Order: sequence, then C-alpha cells, then structure tokens
Amino acid sequence: MSMIEFRALSKVYPGRLVIDALSLKIEAGERVVLFGPSGCGKSTVLHLIAGLVAPESGDILINDELVAAGGRNLCEPEQRGIGMVFQDLALWPHMTVSENIEFGLRARKVPDKERKKRVRDVVDLVGLGDYLNVKPGELSGGQQQRVALARALALAPRIVLMDEPLSSLDEALNIQIRKEIRRLQGELGFTLVYVTHNRDEAKDLGTRTMHLRNGRIDSAFNMGHSS
Amino acid sequence: MEKRLTLVTAAALLAVIGLLPVLAMVASSFYISGSFSLKAYQTLLASSQQYALLLGRSVLLSFLTSALATLVGVPLGVVIGKTDLPWRGAFAVLFTVPLLIPPYLIAVAWGAIVGKGGWISQAWPSATSNLLSTAFFGLPGCTGVLFTAFMPIVMLLTITYVGAVNPRWEEAGRLVSRWPNVLRRITLPLIAPAILFAAILVFLLAFGEVGVPTYLRYPVYPVEILTQFAAFYDFGAATAAAIPMLVITLAILTLEYRLLHNSILELKAVVPGAARSQIALGSWRFLLFGIVLSWALLTVLLPLAVLLIQSASPSAYGEALSRASDSIVRSLAFAVIGATALTLLGFCCGYLVHSRAPPLWRSVDALALFLFTLPGTVIGIGLISLWNTPMTNAVYGSPAILILGYLAQYTVLPMRITSATLERIPRSLEHAARLCGASWFMSLWYIVAPLAKHGLIAAWLISYVFCLRDLGISIVVYPPGSDTLPVRILTLMANGAPSLIAALCVILIVVTLLPLGVVSLWLRHGARQS
Amino acid sequence: MKKAFWIIPVVFVALAIALWRYYSPGGAPTVVVYVSHDQVFSEPILKDFEKETGIQVRAVYDTEETKSAGAMNRLIAEKRNPQADVYWANEPIRAEVLRQQGIAAPYISPNGAGIPETFRDPNGYWTGFAARARVLIAHRGTSPKPTSMLSYTDPQWRGKTVIANPLFGTTTTQIAALFVLSGDERGRAFMQGLRDNAVKMSPSNGDSADLVARGEFAFSLVDSDDVVNRMKQHQPVEMIYPDQGANEIGCFVVPNAVVLIAGSPHPSAGKKLIDYLLTKETERKLAFSDAAQIPLHPDVAMPPYLQPIASIKVMKVNYMEIASKLQTILPFLKNWAGF
Repeated sequence: MSMIEFRALSKVYPGRLVIDALSLKIEAGERVVLFGPSGCGKSTVLHLIAGLVAPESGDILINDELVAAGGRNLCEPEQRGIGMVFQDLALWPHMTVSENIEFGLRARKVPDKERKKRVRDVVDLVGLGDYLNVKPGELSGGQQQRVALARALALAPRIVLMDEPLSSLDEALNIQIRKEIRRLQGELGFTLVYVTHNRDEAKDLGTRTMHLRNGRIDSAFNMGHSS
Repeated sequence: MEKRLTLVTAAALLAVIGLLPVLAMVASSFYISGSFSLKAYQTLLASSQQYALLLGRSVLLSFLTSALATLVGVPLGVVIGKTDLPWRGAFAVLFTVPLLIPPYLIAVAWGAIVGKGGWISQAWPSATSNLLSTAFFGLPGCTGVLFTAFMPIVMLLTITYVGAVNPRWEEAGRLVSRWPNVLRRITLPLIAPAILFAAILVFLLAFGEVGVPTYLRYPVYPVEILTQFAAFYDFGAATAAAIPMLVITLAILTLEYRLLHNSILELKAVVPGAARSQIALGSWRFLLFGIVLSWALLTVLLPLAVLLIQSASPSAYGEALSRASDSIVRSLAFAVIGATALTLLGFCCGYLVHSRAPPLWRSVDALALFLFTLPGTVIGIGLISLWNTPMTNAVYGSPAILILGYLAQYTVLPMRITSATLERIPRSLEHAARLCGASWFMSLWYIVAPLAKHGLIAAWLISYVFCLRDLGISIVVYPPGSDTLPVRILTLMANGAPSLIAALCVILIVVTLLPLGVVSLWLRHGARQS
Repeated sequence: MKKAFWIIPVVFVALAIALWRYYSPGGAPTVVVYVSHDQVFSEPILKDFEKETGIQVRAVYDTEETKSAGAMNRLIAEKRNPQADVYWANEPIRAEVLRQQGIAAPYISPNGAGIPETFRDPNGYWTGFAARARVLIAHRGTSPKPTSMLSYTDPQWRGKTVIANPLFGTTTTQIAALFVLSGDERGRAFMQGLRDNAVKMSPSNGDSADLVARGEFAFSLVDSDDVVNRMKQHQPVEMIYPDQGANEIGCFVVPNAVVLIAGSPHPSAGKKLIDYLLTKETERKLAFSDAAQIPLHPDVAMPPYLQPIASIKVMKVNYMEIASKLQTILPFLKNWAGF
C-alpha cells in the first residue's frame, strides 16, 4: 500500500504544462527527495499532494484513498493529514511561536489542556522551549526553521512536505537542520517529501531521489539511507 | 466550498445591486405605456446633431481635465514620492483634500473668488476681472475645477508606483546618467501603464460629472441629458440619450482592459518600509519647495480659506447647525454604515480578484470599475426603476436604498485596495493555515484580516469619504426627510445666504476629514508604542 | 487593536438598529411632501406645521441648480408606488402635468374658498396660493422704461435685453400662456422676434436679475421675488408690472400649487397639510419672507413693496390650457434654444 500515489497526473498553469503525465509511488515512512532545476515542477508536486491546487487530469491517492481525480480535488487540504514547511516558512508574523504552533490544534478544537501539552511536547522536540511567547520576527533563521517544523508536526501528520526550507540558511546551519529533520523523521515515522535543487541536501536527506525535468521524472534512484 | 460560495455570492450581489438597476433602466427605455417602442431612440437620432455637439463638448472637457491632471499630477507625484522635498507627506495629504469633497464645493469656493461680484472683481473692477469671471463660467472654469478635484488621482497613483520601481534598475541607470534622464527613460516608462490608467480614470470621472458643469452653466452632454428630463419628464428619452455615454465609457474601459490591465497587474505597489531610491534635490530643494507650496496655496488652501472667511461668523455656523444638524448626523450614520458594508463586499470582491479565480475575476473587476465611472444620477434612476415597487418598499422607502446605491457605485474602491493589500501577503500564510485545518473563514479572521488590517482600515476610510461626499445617488433616492448634508447644501443654495452655504461647506469638509485625522493619529500612536 | 476591530461591527449594528427603528411605521403620524419651492422659504412653514399639529413632516426638496432629478421627476418616477402624500409645486403647470399623468387626486380644501377661481383647478386637483408675478426688472438708468412683454421685440432694445432659458420654469409657462392667448402664429413670431432682436439667454431668472442689476442689460422678464430681493439688497433696479394698459394682455401670475397625490401612504395627514398651506397665515408668512410671495386670499397683511393681487391686471388664462400648450410647443422651444 503506497502512502502517496500519482497516476498520470498533469497540471497546467497559464501557457505552460508544468506536470506532464506524472506517475509515482511513495511508500509509507520513506524520505523522498524531489530534485531538479528551477521551474521543473517540484513545488507544484508538493502543492498537488497537499491539495492546495487541483490537477488538470490524473489521480492522486493518499493512503490508498482517492483525493483528486477528474480535474478536481475530492478531499480538502485540511483533511489530508499533511504538514508542510514552506519555502518562505509562512510563519504568521502577528502570532507568537506558541500561537503559530497551536493554531492547527485550535482549528481542530483540541481541548485546552491537551493542546498546551502537545505544543510543549513538539517545542521540546525541536528544541525551542524558551521561545514560546516570542514572535517569529525576533528569532534567528535557524530558530524560525524549527518553529515551522514544530507547526508542521503539531498535528502528528502522516506526511510532511518540505519545499526548499533550507535554501536561505548558511551551510553550517543547513547541515544542522538536515540532521534534525532526519532525527525527527526517524523518531516520528512520517513520510517525508522534500524538494530541493541542492545536491548535498538531496544526497543527505533522501532514501530515494527523483530527478524532475520538464514536469516528468527524469530518473530516480535509491540513496541507500535508512535513517 | 464555503470560500467559493462566499465569493460567488459577493460577485452576484454586485451584479444584482449594481448592474441590474442599470439594465432595468435601459430596458424601460424600450417601453412606453407598457408597449415596446423605439420612440425614445428615434427622438435621439432626430436630435443627433445637437447631441453630437454636446458630446463633443463633454469629450473636450474630459480630455482637457485629464491632460492637465496628468501634466501636473505626474511631476507632483514624482517630487512627492521620490525626492527629499521637505513636508512631502503634508503636501501629499493637502493635495488629496480636493478629491475628498464634492467637486461642486470647489466651484462654489472659486466662484466667490473669480465670479462676478467675487473678491477679484471687487478688488480690481476692470475688464480683466470681468474676463476672468466670464471665463470661469464656461469651459476654462469647469476644466480648472475638475482638474483640481481629480488631479490627486494621478498624483496618488504616481506616488504609489514610482516608489516601487526596482532600485537596482534605477541605480544601473544612475551609473551612466543623471536623475532626470533616469526618470524619463527608465522610471516613468516602467510605470506608464499606471499613469495612463489614472488619466483614463480622470477622463471618465470628468465625463460623467454633473454638479460642476451645472453650477458653472457649461452645457455638457450628461447635464443636458438630465436637464432634458427635468423639462420634458421623459425618462425613456433621457435613458436613451444616456446610452451613448454608457457606450463610450464601456469602450474606453474595454480598451484599458485589453491594453493596460495586465501591465498594471505586473506592477507592484510600493510596500511600506521597503527599500527605495530617493532623489536628493540638492540646490533645487528650496525652489521646488516654493513651487509646490505656491501651487498648494493657490489650488487648495485659497479656496478652503475663502469658504472659511465667508462663513466666519458665529451666526453663520449657528444657522448652519440649526438648518442642517439633522442632515449632518444622517450623513455620518449613512457613511459609517455604507463604509462598513462596502468594506465587507469590497473585501470579498477584492479577494476574488486577487485569487484570479477564472472566469469571474475579470468580470467582477470590470463591472465594479464600470459602475464607478457611471454618473451617480444614472445609478439612482436605475435604483428607482428596480426598487420602487410595493413589494420592495421596505427597502426603497428607507436609507437601505442609499446604501445599495453606495455599494453599486463605490465597491471598486475597497475592492482594489483589498486586492493590492492581499498581493503583499504571501499566499503561503493562508496555505499554511488551511493545512493546519482552519476553515477559510477561520484563516480570514485569524490570519488574513490581522495582516491586512491597515489595508482594511484604508478601505473603510476611503469608502467613508466617498459615501459622505456622494451627491448624484443621494439626490435621486434619498428617503423623504432624510437628505444628506451634500444634498442639503445644494437645496439651500437656491436663495440661501452665501455665509450659510460656506459654513455648511466647511462643516462638510471637517466631518469628512475628522475620522481620517483621528485614525492617522491613532495609527501613528500604535506604531510608536510597538 | 483587537478591541478596535470589535468596535466597528458594534457601532454598525447600533446605527442600523437606530435607523431601522426610526424608519419603522407605527411611530408618530407622518406626512411626506415633495417641495419645488425653495427649501429656504418652504422649510420654516413645514416646521411650523409640525409644531402646531404634531404630524412629522418628511420632505424632499427640489434643486433648481441641477434640475437633474427634482421633486417632480421623483413623483413621476415613483408613479406606480407613490411615496409622497402632497406635492408643493412652485407653479400650477407642474400640478397640471401631474393631473394629466394621473398622479394627482382631487381634494377641495375648505381653506381654499377665498382664493380666486382662476388660481384653482375646478375639480380640486390642485389649488394655488402665494403667487409670484412675472414682471420686468429694469435698471434704474434705463430710459425709457419698458412697459410690456412685447418690448423684447422693440428694435430700440436690440442686444440690450436678456431672458431666462425658455425651456424651464416660469419663463416657459409664460411663453406657453402667450401662445394660448395670442395663437401659435403670433407666439412663434414673438420668439422669432427675440432672436431677431438679439435677446441674450441666461440660465435662470436669478441670473437675468443679476445681469440687469449690474447694468449689463436694460431689462428682463423675471419673477417678482427676484426683483424684491435685489431691491432689498439696494441694487439699482425697479419693478414694472407689464401690460397693464386697457387693451393689453395683463401680467402673468404664477401661484404656488398644492396637490394631493393619488394612492399616497398618508392621505388624511396630506389633507391636513394642504389645509394648512392654504391658510391666510401661511400666505402672510410667505409674503413677509424673502420669498416675497403675493397672497391670493383677500385681506392678508403684506409688506409695502408687494402689490395686492386685486390691484394687478392679471393675464386671463386657463392653466390647464397652458399645460397642454406647453407639451405641444416644447419641441419648438427646444429647437429655438438650440437643441
């Protein structure tokens, strides 16, 4: 049973075929890296998985459940059990770290006590315990990354998507955060789909790498990582 | 689902509130006593020569107004938006004041200066002052007044876009050339679509303007058409005669959409706090300051001062309040409700436009703009055609009809402000909220609205100003006994003492600007605290 | 900031509720009146009516400046669902048009009994009160003085006279009256005479009066209140009642007219307002106001600069005929005015 499956998926933006009859399968617990040059459709693949855009044709299945078909989404983004770290992190600047993380829990009406416990747990997991009442604008780049991760993990998603989250970090911090990501994925067991154009990140993070070009998979190979 | 439903409902509301009355009015022009008839259009064709002359006058007035507004507004916008001119913020506010008040008040003020029996003819009773006063009541006067009223549109759009040009492009030009050349060859060509759009908007607003040409006795097409049905009581004929105006407006807007719209969308409005290149004026600073100050004194402060001086007696204000306090309160109430309703509808339509949801967004945007450029009286007559029935009397006989008129005419303002504001908020913030499980309404309330709050406040304030200053719609449909202040001023003008009229004008200006001042101070206080 | 967000919907809802309660039916008795007489003069009369009767007056006032959608046009536009109870017209022709369009309802007020029959519709569709006379305003320096409406065509005044736009208001009505009295041929000849004698056209009676007061023109045909106002401002003008000679047509008099609207929402309050407007006291107030209206009831006190109606040789016309004639000559006048 695949966690994520694309069947002959196509996506068009005005004047451009971005995803061209793409088929792929991602198994549960995998760390899959989508690698390729700018404009090849990597981010679009993530948006399609998340349900933020609908495909023109083809099917998307998540955990064997059809979530998109016939040119429309059959399942809303908030129902897919997906956490996402965006390229610009998308931290809400007017909310504190704590409010950013617990927003999804509030939306799902998790009771107050349990909500606070889960926030604490996930903040401890990413190592941001002292920064709960601080706004993201007051944090460093690496700290903001952790907040974005914590928010994505707060709802215990089965799939986590990451769209070039480390592109703005310096090399040392990049390596450190990559290590964190591998650790968290190992501990929590979610399926990770990671987009990058950085070969080192691809080699380091993925158990499998798919090379995209012009909306199609050019090549795919296992990296031999198990953790 | 809720997002789609809400946005489609907003678009449908705009169509029902705005478009349907106009269509009803046009449809009724094809019927006389319940039978289909082309008589109104035959009458139109029979008088086509005279109407063509009037249409030519309207086009000339609009073209001159637009040309002048652009010639002055663009350099002014550049000087205020791009240089280190002293007091440039104050100048931006000052030059915007004429846009915030009914244009005919500007005509009243200038009439007291240059009109027969005005200040100039009293001080210099000569052939020159006679010539001046004769010219005022005609094309030059109309052009001057409308130019003063609408120039801020060009100035503000220039300021908005000139500050957003990528500073690297200008710096690359500065390496090989001086600022005037950089402005001429790089900056201004880049923002040309926005400037052209502003010029078109001024043209259309001047084209549909009724109050100023009427006051200044200059016969233009919309005034004469509406005057015709005051003389002949023939709504069908007047509606038929309004069709050429609608056609011209539609044609110009269609051209604008085809040629300019995408270019304007590619331009990004200035982001507060973002880095932008500023021109150091150096030795030109004081000269330009003097020129801008003189221009502000002449075109803005002088007419305002005239109104203040004419009204300068406690008895004038006492009489103004006793004659119009009820209409002052009503104007405020209607403007507050209208602005709130406009902000809500405008936000939904702005969100729709921002999301580029095909195929609706272009239609909604075009419709809103078209309704804005229609003369208010045309919309008012359309509202009567549609809403004056026994079944809908609860709406027609109440201020709700005014609110509907405001929604029809002014939705484009909060819509465009919302759309521009949302452009600055990364979509990923909303996407993140959705993935966290928030409904669309929840993400609007907790994420989008707080981040867009300055834009929403601006939308509300602009809507408030336009609702308060509205004349065209109000004069046609105000419920009996519920006239607004601009209408009250106009009705009291017939045989009302000049000091009374001036006092009422000053009160209208104060009531319009007061909330702007209060909000501005409050925002500044909030910014200092944070 | 969050608190501020809440203030707006609270204020909005409070205002909406207040307005809804204000406009809900079932409150104090109400009458709705559309008024073509200047608000400056008519509003005090209506406020007195409110005070004396306790009936709330809701008014729509005309704007001569825009002419775009005055009270009259609203009445016609609202014909299928009338909002007004009463129309206070500033001339009887508008009242006649309403009668012809089926918008007026008959009502003969007991207070109209003293008003001469010339100034009342025989079936009660409208009743005149408080009139203006169409007079000649002449600059004091003008010599000799004009004595007749036909002075406009006298070659000695070529290029020296002005008349208000004949498409609107009392000027139109007077020209239509001339057509009724003298016939179409002589009426057209008169209009041609105006053209031949280079008579200037001004936008309104007020503008005409100002032009004469400034000495730019010798005389003009205006309303009596326009002259009285300039005289009160000590401007160098005189008022001449035209055509007062034995074989002359007389001075055209334009009364205000009050009309009960057919199908109105508050007919009994409407009748009370009509009764009030037709009292001698109302005429007295309008005579002494800056409106300077001539009372039509006998024995009403008036200021010295007004002449009692009985002492004026009035043009003998039927306003119904004038209204019909107006409709037929309007295309001709439109053409004459350059449309």
